[in-house]
Amino acid sequence: MSPVPAVVLLAGLAAAALLAERTVSVALIAAVLLAACLQAPRRRRWPYLVGTLASGAFLLLFSPLAARYGGVVYWSGPEVPVVGRLDVTSEEVAEALYQALRLVAVGLAFAAYALLVDQDRVLLAAGRLRRSVLAIALATRLLPTLERDASGYVEALRGRGVTVEGLRGRARLLSPLVAGSLERSLNLAESMEARGFGRPGRTRAPQPAWETLDRLAVVGAVAIVVAGVLWL
Amino acid sequence: MALARADSLTYRYPGAARPALAGVSLELHPGELVCLLGPSGSGKSTLLRALAGLVPHFHGGAFAGRVEVAGRDTRRARPSDLVGAVASVFQDPEDQVVFAGVRNEVEFGLENVGVAPAEIGPRALQALGVMGAGHLAGRRTHELSAGELQRVCVAAALALRPRLLLLDEPTSQLDPEAAETLLERATRLGSAVVISEQRPALPLERCDRVVFMDGGRIELDAPRDAALAWLAAEHPTFLAHEPAHVGRNLEGDTLVRVGSAAYAYGDRVVPVPDVELVRGEVIALTGPNGVGKTTLAKLAAGLLEPASGRVERNGRAAYLSQDPGRYVVEDRVLDEVALGVGGDRDRARCALARVGLAGFDDRHPRDLSSGERERLALASVLVTEPDVLVLDEPTRGMDPERKLELAALLAREAPRRATLVVTHDLTFAADVADRIESAAPAKEAVLA
Repeated sequence: MSPVPAVVLLAGLAAAALLAERTVSVALIAAVLLAACLQAPRRRRWPYLVGTLASGAFLLLFSPLAARYGGVVYWSGPEVPVVGRLDVTSEEVAEALYQALRLVAVGLAFAAYALLVDQDRVLLAAGRLRRSVLAIALATRLLPTLERDASGYVEALRGRGVTVEGLRGRARLLSPLVAGSLERSLNLAESMEARGFGRPGRTRAPQPAWETLDRLAVVGAVAIVVAGVLWL
Repeated sequence: MALARADSLTYRYPGAARPALAGVSLELHPGELVCLLGPSGSGKSTLLRALAGLVPHFHGGAFAGRVEVAGRDTRRARPSDLVGAVASVFQDPEDQVVFAGVRNEVEFGLENVGVAPAEIGPRALQALGVMGAGHLAGRRTHELSAGELQRVCVAAALALRPRLLLLDEPTSQLDPEAAETLLERATRLGSAVVISEQRPALPLERCDRVVFMDGGRIELDAPRDAALAWLAAEHPTFLAHEPAHVGRNLEGDTLVRVGSAAYAYGDRVVPVPDVELVRGEVIALTGPNGVGKTTLAKLAAGLLEPASGRVERNGRAAYLSQDPGRYVVEDRVLDEVALGVGGDRDRARCALARVGLAGFDDRHPRDLSSGERERLALASVLVTEPDVLVLDEPTRGMDPERKLELAALLAREAPRRATLVVTHDLTFAADVADRIESAAPAKEAVLA
């Protein structure tokens, strides 16, 4: 499938997940997106999956504690200053599950975009939106770049006998990683300027024409969004 | 008529105490090859950036004097307006890649300057072919070796068919044969080429003119023959010289022995050369890009474990990465070095003094120049007093005088340990090593 229809399809699935009213529909969309993400190589996909699923789990576990509605109480906890009494009701759990699945579905749609779509070709197809799409494409590449940088730091530390262990050890790398990516972004911006980026009169290399599957994907994306509004 | 001209150019980076360029005047003529030499921090990269219009437009700072390129004053023309007349290749190829696909990367500049759509693909493929990188057109940029990426970056510049090509250490990660090919092909197209190099032997063989800079000033601007005579008298380290170190045959304890080993990168199995490291000996490992030198270095240092074969290690090993940017974890130079010895600042101060960074304790590692960062990285490794010291391309970006200092330091400290230096720099290898091993390409395998 060409990248632009793939992006449209992923965006359609994310939109349908946000528009659908039934938890089971959202769960189904999330499952489809998860299956797509699992097609990516294991080494690349794990940060995206862990990040997305952990965010969903966090929302599922903690939002019922913060919410205060519903009649069927599953658990009643202590009184906490400012927040009030902690309790969990069946309605709060159902709502938390629904919202967590929506979050997971949107996160997985982004993960599938980052892992499976040729972002170069999305960028090349962007036409007038090229600057914005370039920014998104470069931002999407940030995570894998940070991952490679982190491995480099860990290796250099091991090379001088320092082991990086636990959350605290890894947190120590956060500051050099951020500073390093800022340095790199400046170098990249300079390189882009030196290659004429932003100059008027730009042209585009010819791109391959869409095939039947690409057209079907776009039609499917529209259909999913409509279904999300009307039936799901 | 001059293709480019700098006239009394003085430039100071924002917040810098002294100017990076001071009263530089220079003319460049169509078709000539100019070799730009000088110590680290002498202003070579800044001069190349001024000729591309990036100084002052991209960097800001205080700019005085005048630079004209292809008849356009760079104070008025933006760098993107000069593209086509000028193309630049910067020091670090990894930091200049925009796209994930090699062909898209080369086509990027052509699209920006408005080349007709039908011509973009053929011109990109032709430029890749000229650089011997045609077979990389369908590859992903993050999968390429540093040497391959360097060739792609030069191809991206050549595709623009510039009248002036500015190359900032374009061969820093290439083996000698690949470096020669790159230089020969980059100069074949008839553009004027300015090449800044810290491995100057090759460009000095081919250039028409030499410009030597120091302290932001041009010390010499002369035709090749006159320049060679001047360099022999004033800066002999920039010329081929007798090795500074006489090789010895040593028979000490064997600290590392690698035999018939291979390492698996996923399902790709890379055989690595055999090597034996003896206490007191310095071995230089040279060879073409991609033969497994870095893999061997990491195996010897214990950072990787072999998929097959034998790797025996005795004693503690330390490994200096190719990238000095990996030694900037702490906020102070002293703390960075002390990190490897459990925060022992006395030992860290001693290590800093050994590499010539005494008094740098409170500086932030990111505020150091590239040459100083190299020495900080070395101190961070030396401080651990390893039995086995493995250095992977330690002279990248280092000027010839610094290389000689490093060779002398390693020779002084050699009796304490076994030292393995992986390098493409044959002059440095001859200066530093008791023994030079040349790794030959071996056939890769794929795991079933």
